[in-house]
Amino acid sequence: MAPVSSTSQTGRPRLWDGPTRLFHWTLVVLVAFSWWSGEEHEMEWHRWSGYGILALVVFRIFWGFAGPATVRFARFVRGPATVAAYARTLFKRGGEHVPGHNPLGGWSVVAMLAALAVMVTAGLFAVDVDGFESGPLATYITFEQGRSAAEVHEVVFNVLLALIALHVIAIVFYRVWKGQRLLPAMLHGRAPDGVELSADGMRVTWWKLALGVILAGAIAWAAAQGFRF
Amino acid sequence: MPKTSSDRALRLAIAAAAGLAVAGVTTFALAAPSASAVIAERQANYKKMGAAMKAIKDQLAGTPQKGAVVDAAQTLATIARKQTGLFPAGSGASSGVKTDALANIWSDRATFDGYQKDLIAQTGKLLAAANTGSISATTERYRATGKVCSACHKEFRAD
Repeated sequence: MAPVSSTSQTGRPRLWDGPTRLFHWTLVVLVAFSWWSGEEHEMEWHRWSGYGILALVVFRIFWGFAGPATVRFARFVRGPATVAAYARTLFKRGGEHVPGHNPLGGWSVVAMLAALAVMVTAGLFAVDVDGFESGPLATYITFEQGRSAAEVHEVVFNVLLALIALHVIAIVFYRVWKGQRLLPAMLHGRAPDGVELSADGMRVTWWKLALGVILAGAIAWAAAQGFRF
Repeated sequence: MPKTSSDRALRLAIAAAAGLAVAGVTTFALAAPSASAVIAERQANYKKMGAAMKAIKDQLAGTPQKGAVVDAAQTLATIARKQTGLFPAGSGASSGVKTDALANIWSDRATFDGYQKDLIAQTGKLLAAANTGSISATTERYRATGKVCSACHKEFRAD
């Protein structure tokens, strides 16, 4: 199948492709829903929400290798020298608008994905105090180990909340202090006016997208079954 | 100096008072064990119940071994009866000991006691179902028991 170009109507490449934007906003909804269902002890809903997040995380990791240039890890995960150099310009008003994840923001993405991965894994093994509610993989471990997993699940949630807060504060900071609007691109996908974005590698290959969706769905489904088929 | 009868009376009175004090303290200690001891005991018991609940769930998820299910159900039924005596007044968070037991256990004692009675009844039925070896009956009674746990926790346990 021929690759389909991910370009806007004006011919400029999209900064964020459709699948990545859908991933992002679905994740926002599911993290919020998981929080609510967890607090309310709606554990059946909470488990389903967690499987959804697992699928999203798997897809995003796959997409970090198979997606368009701006979402690839190889593009946005930068070494310490580049991060340090960028950090020195952080509080400069205006400044160059890096299309996509900047060297600091890239690590924020990695941190959030890592926190989500630990969160979901701990949740799969977690056991509630009454030994009645549990993740689908809890059958492989003892009650005490399952309780420890639940504690990790709880602690990492606070880490995740802190990372999300930092993410939102950073976007407000870029808007107010640096005059860079980061939010619209995550909604409509287009790069802001005046920000040059090379079209190289900015394509969504449909068979790779399909493969990523199938992979994500299969792993989440298998985990939900506790790997017992 | 020769001992007078009033001296003897005083000594007797002191000895009696001391004896009464010792007896009193002993009685008090027996009647009301320290909050930390009773909290530790009921927590250890609940953990055993949690482990037993998980054991039954794990059994039901695979091919259940009747013996293992009955053992766990027996643990639940036995401990459910023990727990009723382990919530004396003054063994809440106000005792200074770390506990998730909420103060309304003592202010709404009737409701809390109702849950404890219900737990005894449900674990009894679960044990009976486990003894029949019926997976469907055991699953049903297991769920009913779990509901008592979570309903009571929602109302009386800090989370």
